[in-house]
Amino acid sequence: MTSPTSLAFTLVITGAPYSSQAPQTALSFAQAVIAEGHSIDRVFLYGDGVHLASALSTPPSDETNWSLAWAEFLIEHGIPGVACIASALRRGVLNSEEQQRYERSAANLVTPYQLLGLGEWVESIASTSKTLYFHGEH
Amino acid sequence: MTVLVVIDQSPYGSWRGRESLDMALSLAAFDQPASLLFTGAGVNWLRKGQDPAGISQKAVERNVSAATIFGIEEILADRLSLEANALTLDELVEGAVAVEYSPELVANYLNVVCL
Repeated sequence: MTSPTSLAFTLVITGAPYSSQAPQTALSFAQAVIAEGHSIDRVFLYGDGVHLASALSTPPSDETNWSLAWAEFLIEHGIPGVACIASALRRGVLNSEEQQRYERSAANLVTPYQLLGLGEWVESIASTSKTLYFHGEH
Repeated sequence: MTVLVVIDQSPYGSWRGRESLDMALSLAAFDQPASLLFTGAGVNWLRKGQDPAGISQKAVERNVSAATIFGIEEILADRLSLEANALTLDELVEGAVAVEYSPELVANYLNVVCL
């Protein structure tokens, strides 16, 4: 349901779950975007935001698992999720390819995220997509 | 139009500035015009003669000096922050320009990024 006035957004999340509110605020915003008939081109995790893409995040069962909630949202709406590869490797978020390359004991990147470079973010800046940032404490 | 990447934290205390610089360099690498602005404690990025070897970090000074070589359009320093940090232009890396960090300045940019 897109109207001629519908907008396309790129969301950049730089705050980690459980140490900042950024992933929650971004998810609420994203749900509102979709509900109003607009679209999201891409979600880009940068800096501490890459922790959102860790499959090993295990909060107590009476708390929301933000990694899971975000992943389900991305899959449901077919939105590409990208974690910056440089940020992710430094912070221990790896896919199986990087696990093999660096001979680490585990891979933990949540589906559907991909590990890609900052070029993905640059593409959003260069496009007509409106880019919004969700930061941690500053 | 140019993207302005703002660094407002001192080097070495946080990784945010380095990741901001990486964003600016990526824009330049993909031929998107980008400028850097240092404000608040961030002006210390521009100090000449940094030596963080004692805390096992690499000096950011060299990265900033090389930024224009890699296509960054401007290296701007907030004049009031320079004063607050007792920094004069001759104590800064080559190419840094003092500016008034004002709404008028920001209005010249397509997008402002501040991690």
